[in-house]
Parts: sequence; structure tokens; C-alpha cells
Amino acid sequence: MKKRHEQKLVILSITLFVMINIPFVLVFDVPGAIAGIPILYFALFSIWLIAIIISFIILKRHYE
Amino acid sequence: MSNYLLFIIIVCYLAILFLIAFLAEKNAKSKWVNNPYVYTLSLAVYCSAWTYYGSIGNAANSGISFLPIYLGPVIACPLWIIIMRKILQISKQHKISSIADFISLRYGNNRFLGALTTVICLLGTVPYISLQLKAISETFEIIVGTPAATPNRFFDDSTFYIAVLLAIFAAFFGTQKSDATEKHRGIVTTVAFESILKLIFFLTIGIYVTYYLFDGTQDIYDKISVQADFTSLATLNGLEGGFNWLFTILLSFMAIFLLPRQFQMAVVENNREKHLKHAIWLFPLYLLLFNIFVIFVAWGGTLTFGDTTKSEYFTLLLPLQNNDTFLALLVFLGGFSAVISMVVVSTLALSTMVSNNLIIPYGYLEKFIQSHPEKNSSYIKNIRRISIFLIIIAAYIFYVNFSIELSLYSIGLISFVIISQLAPSFFIGMFWNRGSARASTIGMITGFLITTYTLILPFTLDSFAGFRDWVDKGFFNINMLRPYALFGIDFLSPPAHAFFWSLICNTLCYLFFSIIVKGNYRERNYAEMFVDNKNYFSLQDNVLVWKGEAYVADIKNVLIRFLGEERTQRALNLFFLKYKLPQNTQLADARLINFSEKLLTGSIGSASSKILIDSVIKEEEITLPEVLKILEESKEAISKNKILSEKSEELTSLTSQLKKANEELILKDRQKDEFLDTVAHELKTPLTGIRAATELLQDESEMPAEVKDVFLNNIIQDTDRLSRLINNILDFEKLSTDRQRVVMSKNNIKITIDKAIQSIQHIASKKNIAIRLKNQQTIVLLYNEDRILQVLTNLLSNALKYCDSETGIIAIDYKRLAGYLRVRVKDNGKGIPDEDIDYIFNKFYQSQDQNIIKPQGSGLGLAISKQIIEKHNGSIWAEKTYKTGACIVFKLPFN
Amino acid sequence: MKKKILIVDDEPNIVMTLEYAFKKQDYEVLIARDGSEALMIIEKNKPDVVLLDIMMPKVDGYQTLEYIKNNTMLVNTKVVFLTAKNKASDIEKGLKLGADKYLVKPFSVKKIFAEVQELLG
Repeated sequence: MKKRHEQKLVILSITLFVMINIPFVLVFDVPGAIAGIPILYFALFSIWLIAIIISFIILKRHYE
Repeated sequence: MSNYLLFIIIVCYLAILFLIAFLAEKNAKSKWVNNPYVYTLSLAVYCSAWTYYGSIGNAANSGISFLPIYLGPVIACPLWIIIMRKILQISKQHKISSIADFISLRYGNNRFLGALTTVICLLGTVPYISLQLKAISETFEIIVGTPAATPNRFFDDSTFYIAVLLAIFAAFFGTQKSDATEKHRGIVTTVAFESILKLIFFLTIGIYVTYYLFDGTQDIYDKISVQADFTSLATLNGLEGGFNWLFTILLSFMAIFLLPRQFQMAVVENNREKHLKHAIWLFPLYLLLFNIFVIFVAWGGTLTFGDTTKSEYFTLLLPLQNNDTFLALLVFLGGFSAVISMVVVSTLALSTMVSNNLIIPYGYLEKFIQSHPEKNSSYIKNIRRISIFLIIIAAYIFYVNFSIELSLYSIGLISFVIISQLAPSFFIGMFWNRGSARASTIGMITGFLITTYTLILPFTLDSFAGFRDWVDKGFFNINMLRPYALFGIDFLSPPAHAFFWSLICNTLCYLFFSIIVKGNYRERNYAEMFVDNKNYFSLQDNVLVWKGEAYVADIKNVLIRFLGEERTQRALNLFFLKYKLPQNTQLADARLINFSEKLLTGSIGSASSKILIDSVIKEEEITLPEVLKILEESKEAISKNKILSEKSEELTSLTSQLKKANEELILKDRQKDEFLDTVAHELKTPLTGIRAATELLQDESEMPAEVKDVFLNNIIQDTDRLSRLINNILDFEKLSTDRQRVVMSKNNIKITIDKAIQSIQHIASKKNIAIRLKNQQTIVLLYNEDRILQVLTNLLSNALKYCDSETGIIAIDYKRLAGYLRVRVKDNGKGIPDEDIDYIFNKFYQSQDQNIIKPQGSGLGLAISKQIIEKHNGSIWAEKTYKTGACIVFKLPFN
Repeated sequence: MKKKILIVDDEPNIVMTLEYAFKKQDYEVLIARDGSEALMIIEKNKPDVVLLDIMMPKVDGYQTLEYIKNNTMLVNTKVVFLTAKNKASDIEKGLKLGADKYLVKPFSVKKIFAEVQELLG
């Protein structure tokens, strides 16, 4: 795997760290629910799932 | 459900696991055992009973704080592509068998550091194992429906028997070989199998609660959200909650690398680096699935039972409440699976650490050196087996005395905080080569002491003796020293608080002392290898430049003690073969020392193997600058050698070039001689005729007039021939040296050809031979007209020579082709014999099969033509395929 | 009886002069343009002397000489090389092969005649 593509994963990791930590995560820290799932949970699970999809795509394309 | 029935079910389940482990061990090379999915599922050993039961308890009581334990790994997973790959490469290079090995090797095979790491791991893991036993015990009770057996009488306690069974399982499959770096495919496969089971059963109960007991997520949410304290369950609880959140994420981020069971599964049991390709996205997916229904089960339980005191076991209590005993049993088995995998893998990892980093280097080494090889191997295995049992018994004792009062979640977090003390030495050490052993030791001890003061001590005293006074008031009543609020930081939860202080101090100590204390040469060499592992990878055994004296025989003796005669011999043979050393090498070099250390590392750990090898070698200290210098020098020597061999190759090729040139010169010389001979002969022939005829004319006065005429005519002919010959020779010589450059001008080839035909037309008419030019078009190109005219005339007169009178036909044509002009002169004469066709352009070459009456010609015509065409950068040849006469073709380029 | 002489040369002008000179001296003159033609004539007419050029197409002078020397019927046939090749090594080679005389071109007709006369005694 080329350094450039490795760095994509590193950036993904940094982004995740920022998005699911304070202060950023307080953005989702509001009352209410989507389909019975509180908004904070919904946001966290969505970010989680997106991260999985992104890493899957990067690895599928670039891992040798 | 009956006590005994459940126990039988458990035993049956364990039997299935034994069978799977046995089959996997037997087919260790199979695709079913070695694939990225098994690898990923084996990593799911992360989800222990703590996840299975504890998460729900935590979600019911404190809301979202169960989640960061899984978010840390989710952040860590993409980084695996760099960090985990590096760990894997280093571990494979050095045959590392545990995290203690890893850390001790990074700091120069430091024995004390390995032992310290082992102790920290033990202290962190034993409570964690006891937590698993507690979960077993309590879920057992719930399923059976009777209160727990009295802890004092452990003979009656089913938990004790289950613990023993687990120990047997771990000991049986974990210690088949004395080399701890050998893979345990059986254990890995059962863990993967259990990971599937626990996920499926957990999802099943999640769906059961959410969609069967309740009417979907919305239903649960609507009901729970009206409760008074709901906001705290669905939010972060402000900035303070946010800091707890942050520290817990950091904690779990480290734990996914550092927990002994994770290191065992992710690193030691890994057999292919590329499994990471799938693990990096599959493992977060596994964790995601595991967490989706947690809140709904927790809330469903809270709604059903009205309180959260037994919330950790909602997954069992809810189906039992609805008389779905079978479902409860499945959930129990799922939880049991989580427990088994955690306990087995943890004890396996710990037993390797205890034997390789604690017992062997600190006590048994002397004994090993004196003992027999077969015994050594079984000693090592026995030490590990006993370790496994002792660890599980220790965990049981801990469980009986402490854990009963504590929640699963709190014990888990304490373990994490303890293990996280390895983090600075582990992570920073991997990327910073200054990090030193002393600093690492000081950092870890400091961090651990702070953890003890701020977390372990208050926790145990509180739960064991109910002694809370100093926790609230501080040590010696000093407010600043309150264990849960050191220096006034009182807004963090106890684990986050302990983690914050211990890790800050640990890291600062590590950094500070690394800069102050300079590690010894050996330590710095290993640091270099870890930090820059890719560069050193190619050097392999060469990596440690070592100065000193050692004999192969001594090293061999040491190896034999641990590996046995046969394996040692095989390994050494391979080594000698690899480095092309003679089998009877006497003096050991750095490569053999490193090779032997690595060989032993698997069996007895890196620290011990260093001590052992050191005992038979006399090592001189060598500093890092020296190491670099030696490496540099050997590089230089290699490059010099390379230059030398290149030069010698050059010389060889020069010599052969010279030889060739010389041969060519000799050939040229001989050709020149032959040429001169031929010229002389050709000149003498007409001279002879002239000489003889003149003599006769002079002497014979009564010669008849007609004879006289013939002789005179002959003299004229021969004179002409002579002058023609001389001209041709001069011409040829001029053309073949580079002095003569033909002057080019634009000409029309049609006109030139017409001129050539005209000049020989009268001879042709005499012989009645027809000359035909097919083309009419004008093609203008650069050439020297006189010279090309000479070529054409020559070709035409040759054709005339060989054509029969009356029937002879000569045809000329020309054509513009890509980049050049092609001219052909064909005749229907006798043609050129095949054997001659390659030589006709040589000077003085005349066909062997000429007419009896020698045709007139100098033998230079075609040779001169060739010279002329070549001066024009063209080419001339005779068409081989042309059979009904001769066909000479030449090409002239347009530029 | 007339002496028979065979002139073997591929140069017609040279042949012409020699033919004229020897006929004048009452020789029976035979002519061949190359080695193979010469051999046929030698077999048939058994000349007393052969004037032989060396550089000829097809069968050259050396081969012709060899044939004559190996034929027992032709023991009395004298062979005179008449050639432009005048290097010492060439002369040596020719004599060694069994030529009775080695004369170089260009030549004096009188001298050739004298040499042939001497050879035939």
C-alpha cells in the first residue's frame, strides 16, 4: 500500500477522533430522537458506519 | 432449571469447543482456519462478559458512557495500517511472544522491564478474569434460580469447577509446544467460533426485547423518555461528562493495543500481515453490531423491572420473566462464550509472560543451563501450565474476596487504567529512538503508584473494608491529596481521574528521563531497530554489529539445551547455508549471535535468551556511533568492491575490443596486399600485350599488312584498357577514403537515366539489345549527377555484357517509396549464380562463370558503384529472388 | 616433325602475339582459353610444351600443372609458367609444383622462344 493511501486512513482516524470527542461531539448532544434512537446515538452510530465504509473502500482499492 | 442440567450443558458446550480446537489444530494449515475473517473474529475477544453484560448495566445506570470503550478501537483501527503493521513486522523479525517481550526487547532486552510489564499485566488482568468468573457465577444462579453457593466452600461452588475446566482447556491447547511464538490455531479457531455465537445470541436478545417484548425502538424511546432522569441517559452530561468521555476513549484506544489478550490475538497469533486489509474495517463493524441494541435492552429492562439494580443481567432476566427459558439459555451460552475466550486467551498470554519474563530469567535459568534438553522443553511447558492454573486460581480468589461487591463495569475500567501504564513506553518507544529503559521503568512505576493511590487502594479499601474516610478527606486529611480529586480536580469519574494523573506523570517521567539518561549501546541499537524497522529489515541478522569473541561450539551447546540436538543442528545448517559459511566455522559472528538469540526468544523470552547467550560470549561494549561507523564502513567496502569489479569488467571488454580491432587491422592489411597484387596483375596484363605486339612489329619487317593492323589495333585496345583501369583504381581509392565528399545538387532522376541510356545506346544497337525505361514522372532529389550517371552506366554496361544479342532486353524503372527512391536495372541475360550474389560488389571480383572471351571490365565497376551509393547514404544489392536474369537495385534517400 | 606447343591464356591479345611468333618458327600452335579447355587439348594432342598462365577462370594454372604431372602419358610434356605473378614466393611455389620454367609477364617474345627452344633441347 502506498504511503499516500496509508495517510488517507490516518486522516480518517484523526477525523474520527475529532468528530466523536468534545467539543465537536457536543453538536449532536441535543434532546430528541430519530426513529426512536436518541440523536446523539444516531450521530455516533452514523459516523461509525461511515468510517467503516470509507476504510473498506480505501483498503479494497489500494491494499496490495 | 436444574443445577446439574445446566452444568451438563456447560460441559457439553466445552466438549464441542474441545472438538473444534482439536480439529483446527489438526488442520492448522487449512483455509478454514487461516483467513482474515477468523483473524477478525479472534480480535473480538475484546468483547468479554464486560461487554456482554456490563454494557447493558452501564447503559441503564449511566447512559452513554458504555460507548467510548468501543469508540477508542474504532478510532484506532484505521491507524492499524501503520501501527499494527509495524508491530507485526517487528514481532515477526524478533520472534516476539508477548507484550512484555515487545517492551523489554525495545529497551535492549531489559530483564527488569520485561518483569515489570508482566507484573502490571498480571495486576491488570487477574481482576478482569475474576470479573468473568463473577459473570459466570451470577448468570449461573439466574438461570438455575437459586442463590449462590457459600463462597467459603468452593467445593460446592460451580464457578470453581468451571474455572478449573477453563484452565485445563487453556493449558491443553496453549502449551503444546515450548516455543510460545508457535501459533495456537485451536484456541484461535474456538475464539472465532465463540465470537460468532456471542454476537448472534446478543443480537437475538436485542431483537427479541426491541421488537417482541416492545413495539420497536420508537415504542421504547417514547416510554423511557418520559422518565425523570432520562436526559442524563441520552446525553453527554455537559463538559464534565465530556472529559470523562474523552479519557475513556483514550483509555480504550490504548487498551486495544496493550491488553495482553489483544496482543496475543492481533500480533502473536497473526500469520499474515494482509489479514489487516479486512480486519481494519470488519472489526469496527463487529463492534457496531454488538452495540446497536444495548440501549434498547437496557431501557426495556428498566421499563419492565422498574429499577436498575440487576440491570447487568437484563438480557437473562427479560426472557426468563416471559418464560422463554430456552432463549435465556442461549443468551447464557453467548455470555459463557465471551467468558471462555477472554479467560483462555488472557491466561495463555499471561502464562507466556510469567514463564518467559518472570520465572525463567529470575530463577530457572541456572537450572536450565545444567539440565538436559528434553527436560528443559517439558520444564518450560510445565511452568506455563502451572502459571495458567495459578492465574485462574488467583482470579478465583480475587473474585471470592473482592468482586462480589463490585460491578462488572468498574472492575473492567480499573484493569484498563492499570494496563494503560504501558502506553508511553510502548507507543512513544516505537517511534522515538531516544526513549530509554531507565525512563520507561521510572515512568511505569510512577504511573502505577499513582493508579494505586487514586484508584486501586480507595476502591479495594472501600469495597473490602468499607473504609472510606481517607477517600473523602485525603491523605493525612490534606484536601489536595484526596484520591478521587487530586489537586482539586474533582469533576472526573475515578477511573478517568486516575487515568489522567497516572498517564500524565508516566509520560512526563518517560520523556524527561529519556532525555536525561542515555541508554547503553545495546539498548540504543534495539531502539534503532524498532523505530526504523523497515530499514533494518533488509539487514536481518546483520543488524546488530557486535564486537567480541564467541565460539560456535559454545553457542551450539546452549541451543541444544533448549531446542534439542536435532533442531539445533538443522537451524545451524540453515544458518550456514543462508550466509554461505562453511559448516565447520569456529568463530561466531554477530549474525550467529543474533540468530541464536532469536531462536531462543521463542522458548524462553528475549531477556533470558540474551542472558544465556551472553554467558558464552565475551562481548565488548560498542557505542551507537561506532555501530553506525562500522555499518558505514561495510557499506563503503561493498561499494568499493563493486567499483573494482565494474572496472575489471570494463578492462575485460576493452581487451576484447582491442583484440577485435587488431584482428580487423590484420584482415585489412591482408586485404590491402591482395588488392595491390590484383592491381599489379590487372595492370600487367595489357602491358604484356602491348610489349609483345610492339616487339613483333619491330622485328618482323615482312609481316603482312592485315596482321600488322590487328597488332596495332590490339596495342590501342590495351592502352585504352590500361588507362581505364588506372582511372578506375584512382576513382575507387578516392571514394573509399573519406577525403572525397560528393557534392550534391537537386536533379531529376528521369533526366539522369535518359543520359545514361543515351551514352551506351550505340553499343546496345550494335548488339540489337533493347533498353526500356518504363517511367515518365519527374522525381527530384539531392544527388551528384556525374556519380549516379557513373553507377547507371556501369549497371547498364554490365547488363549489356551478359545479355544475348538480338533477344536481349534491359528494363529500368524507378519508384518513390517511403523516404527514398528505388531504381532497378533488370536484364534477361544469364543472371547471377547464387554462389556469386553476395560477392559481386567486392573489388576485382569477377564471376567464375564468365564467357570464355573475357568481358571487358576492370572488376571494379560494381565495387565503385557501391561506394558511390553508400556515399549518398543509400544501398545497393542484387535481387536474389529474380531468376530470369540479373536485377540490381539501389535506393537513394530523399534527405 | 613439327614441335607442338599449347598456349593457355585468357587474354586474347597475348595469345595472338605468341601464336604468331611460334607459327613463324614452324611450331604447331594449339590454343586454350582456360585450364579445362587446355586439359582436353593436352589429352588429345600431347603437346611437347605448354605455356601456362596461372590466373584463369575455372581450372587455374596450378591445377592444370598438377594434372599433367600426375599423368604418366604426359611425362614428356614440358610446362612453362607464364604469369604476371612475380613474387619470389610465387616462383618458388610454381617450380616446386614441377614447372620446368617460370617466366613472368610482361615478357620479350624472343626470350620466350629462346627458353622454349632450350627446354626442348
